[in-house]
Amino acid sequence: MKTIAVLIVAASIAPAQWLDFPTPGVPRNPDGKPNLTAPAPKTPDGKPDLSGTWTTKGGYTGNIARDLKPGELSFTPWASELYKHRQETLSKDDPQGFCVLSGVPREHVVPYPFKILNTTGMIVILYEALHSYRQLYMDGRKLPKDPNPTWMGYSVAHWESDTLVVDSAGFVDNNWLDNGGHPGTESLKLTERFHRRDYGHIDLQVTIDDPKAYTKPWTVKLEFTATPDTDLIEYVCDENEKDVPHLVGK
Amino acid sequence: MNTVPVLRLLLVGTITVAASAQWLNYPTAGVPKTPSGLPNLGAPTPRTPAGTPDLSGIWEPENTLPCDPNDGGDNCTDIPIGEQFLNIAARLKGGLPYQPWAADLSKVRAEGRGKDDPSVRCLPNGVPRANTIPTFKKIVQVPGMLVILDEYNATYRQIFVDGRPFPVDPQPTWNGYSVGKWNGDTLIVETIGLRDGLWLDGMGNPLTDAAKVTERLRRVNFGNLEIEVTVDDPKAYTKPWTVTLNHFIVLNAELIDYICVENEKDASHLGK
Repeated sequence: MKTIAVLIVAASIAPAQWLDFPTPGVPRNPDGKPNLTAPAPKTPDGKPDLSGTWTTKGGYTGNIARDLKPGELSFTPWASELYKHRQETLSKDDPQGFCVLSGVPREHVVPYPFKILNTTGMIVILYEALHSYRQLYMDGRKLPKDPNPTWMGYSVAHWESDTLVVDSAGFVDNNWLDNGGHPGTESLKLTERFHRRDYGHIDLQVTIDDPKAYTKPWTVKLEFTATPDTDLIEYVCDENEKDVPHLVGK
Repeated sequence: MNTVPVLRLLLVGTITVAASAQWLNYPTAGVPKTPSGLPNLGAPTPRTPAGTPDLSGIWEPENTLPCDPNDGGDNCTDIPIGEQFLNIAARLKGGLPYQPWAADLSKVRAEGRGKDDPSVRCLPNGVPRANTIPTFKKIVQVPGMLVILDEYNATYRQIFVDGRPFPVDPQPTWNGYSVGKWNGDTLIVETIGLRDGLWLDGMGNPLTDAAKVTERLRRVNFGNLEIEVTVDDPKAYTKPWTVTLNHFIVLNAELIDYICVENEKDASHLGK
């Protein structure tokens, strides 16, 4: 994996302070630090409470599929050519490099925190990267038949035991699953399984079923760490953006 | 203030064309109905289990400014707008109490027909301007917080309602840092930490980093939300001033993404 993308901003914080309001209800060790191995909290209805601010353990920004064994990810010929082109051109066409949204599932491999909120009939995820959000409907609705394609897709979710299963479709046709450019298309059906293992950790299993780009579904595992006592800050990608003229990919 | 020849440029970006795909039209749950089966917009304000008014829902601002193509078409934006979109003080008697430099700046900006408007270049609208941008907003009210999801740039704003104080020296941002508290049935939201150089509206009334913005959110009934905005910005205005922005419930719909920078073709055609 070579370089690039997420080239843009990260506002410099010089004289001002980080947001450091203490998160209420955090289990703490005697030294006051959060006890990340305390049991996972539950909502009043007995389901795991996924709410909180989370950050990726890292390592998958450039290649979401890095842990897969040879043969587990099998491109269609068209997608193989496209991926090769994106690699050879150092991701210069990455939409995120032009401040368009990162999209899903890439929001979960870039190194920016996100915040999960529970509300009636819905879970909302606020992402720091590109300052965007996603709604996961839990009111029993089905995926729409022919949704308008979007970067974040359309998501419905339900509980299977202690795992939140999120089914999504309706993605744009030029999706990038990671900064390296694994393609996603309008035929992408995404299944994400969120499991809060303990207070401090969420395991996320992501299954990519996109017959236009891959000959069979494939699954990766990601991990997130609770990030209490801070907050999302504003990420405005196109403010004073100076990078695009300097992209070097041919 | 005269009507400004602004901004059909504004909201230039991209509206995703829904051509073959469907609109999102899942029925809204829990809507009170009249005997004839229509939504009863005058029904009482819903409440949360905690007893406060529930502001949750999708809202759109007043957008009744007539579009007359024979009159230059300046009000003929791709989404209908209200007069406060162009001039947040359109209904303020006597106009805004400008400091002299701010009066000059708003005149220059108005004459520039919005060419320097940050939102024309897909930057955030910020606070309080987002309240007059005609994209749908969804208020999500959860314990300790209010989140406003905005179709514009598919972005959001957080308002903390958990009793926290303001940070001492917040990093300046387009949305600032907002804390809210209930006073009777009104949620009073105060915001500081705003970035310098914000635009309050399409004609370019300025807001500076000295501003404190207070928004009083009152859901009058099921279908109506009033946001009374007080701007206290001694750098730009000689005294605080207050305007009221009306919002209306949107039912059986959903937010769609409005990604301003995607396939943006307008910036290079703006005025000199």
